[in-house]
Amino acid sequence: MIGGLLQGGVFAIVALGFSLVFRVTNVINLSQGAFCVLGAMGMYYFQVVFGWPILLAAIAAVLCSTAFGLLIGALTFVPAVSRLPTSSMLVLTAGLLTFLVGITLVIWGNQPYALPPFSGEAPFVLGPLRIPTQSVWLAAVSAAMITGLWLLLRATTLGRALRACAENQVAARLMGIDLPRMMLLSFGLAALIGSVGGVLVAPVMSLQFDTGQFFTIAGFIAVAIGGMGSFAGSIIGGLLLGVAQQFAAFYISSLFANTLSLLLLLFVLIVRPSGLFPSGPQRRSDVRDDPRIQRAAIKLDGYRAVLLGAAFVGILALLPWVSLPIGILSSLVISLILFIAVLGLDVLMGYAGQVSLGQAGFMAVGGYTAAILATSYGWPPLAATLVAIVLSVFCALILSVATARLRGHYLALATLAFGLLVDSVAVGLVDVTGGPSGLVGIPAFAVGGFDFDTPRRMYYLALTLAVLLVIVLEGGMRSSFGRSLKAVRSDQLAAAALGINVSRVKVIALCISAALAGLSGALYAFNFHFLSPDMVSAPRSFEMIAMLVLGGEGTLIGGFFGSLALTLLPTLVQEFAIFKTAVEGAVLVAVFLLMPEGLFGRLALLLQRLPKLRSGPAQTGAKP
Amino acid sequence: MTAPAIACRAVTKIFGGLRAIDDVTLTVPSGSLCALIGPNGAGKTTLFNVATNLFTPTSGKVLFFGEDAAGSAPQQIAARGIIRTFQTARVFPGMTTLENVMVGAHLHIHAPIVAQILWTRKSRDEEVRLAATADALLDLVGLRHARDLPATELPIGAQKLVEIVRALMCRPRLLLLDEPAAGLNDRETVELAVLLRAVCDAGTTIVVVEHNMSLVMGVADTVFVLDAGRLIASGSPQQVQSNPAVIEAYLGRATEQAS
Repeated sequence: MIGGLLQGGVFAIVALGFSLVFRVTNVINLSQGAFCVLGAMGMYYFQVVFGWPILLAAIAAVLCSTAFGLLIGALTFVPAVSRLPTSSMLVLTAGLLTFLVGITLVIWGNQPYALPPFSGEAPFVLGPLRIPTQSVWLAAVSAAMITGLWLLLRATTLGRALRACAENQVAARLMGIDLPRMMLLSFGLAALIGSVGGVLVAPVMSLQFDTGQFFTIAGFIAVAIGGMGSFAGSIIGGLLLGVAQQFAAFYISSLFANTLSLLLLLFVLIVRPSGLFPSGPQRRSDVRDDPRIQRAAIKLDGYRAVLLGAAFVGILALLPWVSLPIGILSSLVISLILFIAVLGLDVLMGYAGQVSLGQAGFMAVGGYTAAILATSYGWPPLAATLVAIVLSVFCALILSVATARLRGHYLALATLAFGLLVDSVAVGLVDVTGGPSGLVGIPAFAVGGFDFDTPRRMYYLALTLAVLLVIVLEGGMRSSFGRSLKAVRSDQLAAAALGINVSRVKVIALCISAALAGLSGALYAFNFHFLSPDMVSAPRSFEMIAMLVLGGEGTLIGGFFGSLALTLLPTLVQEFAIFKTAVEGAVLVAVFLLMPEGLFGRLALLLQRLPKLRSGPAQTGAKP
Repeated sequence: MTAPAIACRAVTKIFGGLRAIDDVTLTVPSGSLCALIGPNGAGKTTLFNVATNLFTPTSGKVLFFGEDAAGSAPQQIAARGIIRTFQTARVFPGMTTLENVMVGAHLHIHAPIVAQILWTRKSRDEEVRLAATADALLDLVGLRHARDLPATELPIGAQKLVEIVRALMCRPRLLLLDEPAAGLNDRETVELAVLLRAVCDAGTTIVVVEHNMSLVMGVADTVFVLDAGRLIASGSPQQVQSNPAVIEAYLGRATEQAS
């Protein structure tokens, strides 16, 4: 119970940061949890490595990570927030989280760290209770911080300005409030709150580079339970979650602690999307009806596209016969397999405009289904793969029925929760899935008697599937159905007024996306002969979004360039491997800010311009 | 005799304390071209939104062709052949003019989704037919040259025309146009009037909410005048123009002006 409250206290602190940023910017800042880790790691650095006294080390750690937070915020978050819609911001902050996690990995490596408690190991005895002194510290500092924040918001001019931004950004701006500064301030404050939390919790938890994700997720669940933007709700939600997790770990299994809290989250999202303590009036945020997608659909005209495509596929088909460095062919296979899942994501995000943060969840469903059927039940891989796809679509249907009432980023968050839920189930069901250490002995993919057991064979299989899927989807996206997807993305109301069943279109898009993810997951498992939860967890979802955004949304083929770049680079440059996560995050953020049309979009634009140079200004009527 | 295209029966809509629409009863005969006019804030668009079920009326009911549409989703209203346009042009960004117009044919696509995605012969033929229809309609409004341009790059007036053409692709029984002439120049307005007349003569009932008096007076069979949520006059354009209540609503009472 005490342990639960202690952990809950940290969740509450992260949740508080979420609420603050959400109140001012209407963005759910997924990078929040990373600042806890930065704070804690900084603390370790100053206290253990430099040998500074605790108080000084704590202050220095908090200051450093807050300064870093301000820098990040000023460079990425604030410039983006006025240009991108909230749903894209969600993806951007996911990129920031990935980046910060990656940075932590680069600086501190992947070993866990632990610190001594502030005031010794001896617990504080109160009657029959033995309370670890660290939790006294935590409670006291949290209380002080909450009071301070409350006073700041209620009683100062600055606080009033912050709240004005929260209520109505346009009006606040008209009243002369420097909106970007206020947003940066809220981001920095949230980083401060987060790093204080991290410093406090460092002695009781062992921390490593990816603990930030854990904090983000837990803090997010807490804030969703408590009510987005409500400070009291965040704190209560955090404490509730901490206790619930502790109980789950104690009575059921520590492996299922996350499952329970995610179920709790999904339940709250579905039953009461605004949380237990909703704050203020609901703000609508629909799909990504943003300026970014006002650009023209990028496509090459038919003849040239076919020619280029054929040439490209030809080159790809010949690649295995060129003597490639070791591992390159395997990397190509992986990027093709991932590309299939990214294709699905493109249909959902690029065309239908729905943000999904849980694509890896569907991959996991597909992968585990196929792997278990093939391994434990001896099914032929082809049949297992088909069942995997069906089951993945089935999950998509359940998810869409359950989330039918959700809109905007609540929907995106439900997909995130779904992915995490699948992940935690895969970890928890040790007997079926092999638990955290994974499932081994998965056979190679085979059709009839033909085994795809070499990289070259697997390469051709994946290439054939990918090319077929691209051709089919390319046609599909030009059909009436493709048009309704795009119509739903850009204007739901107008789409409905023309007779388009908006929710049906979204469900179908989600199902297509899930089917491709399921296929990709199955191939992935057959390719590696091994599947562990790590391979298909939330970071993988973020990675696939990075691939899609890097390659270019709404282009189908673009995702291939994205997956190729992010898969091949770490293989080509081994020293680069440790930077992979950081680079992925940075790429996601940078592409969002600087090159929203993506690599392929940029390429297509260049190619589009070529003939115009030759034939002169043939186009008329184009007005900017 | 067929049922009227729209029959509003004592429709009232209250927002907070404001009676946006106050006990409006009106009938739009099937096959007619009617206009709904009134000063700013008279409740014209609200009545439109109530009629297309974006808002549910506080009391009263709306019948389309004799059927109560209460509780239907917007796409179900559209499926009954009732298509509306919006006050500010809502073309779909990121799509070309032709694609925009072809979205309008959504309700008339027969090929199932799987067939569409697999690009079967039947689905392809259907697409070709639809594209031809869309081209013909774009020709009619003089936008054929813009078919492959992004629709959002067109001037506002042209975007409004695209929206109307898109609505026509639905082959509506009843077409509700919210300020179609806003953003059009005088020549385009005349062309629009001719187009609307032709569409109406071909059997589609049309209701226009409009500020532009030259469009309304030149083309409408019947004009309804709303003021402060109430229906204050209805009749032929000539009758309405000479109605003292209408003049008062637009120009204010003579004594008020004097004071």
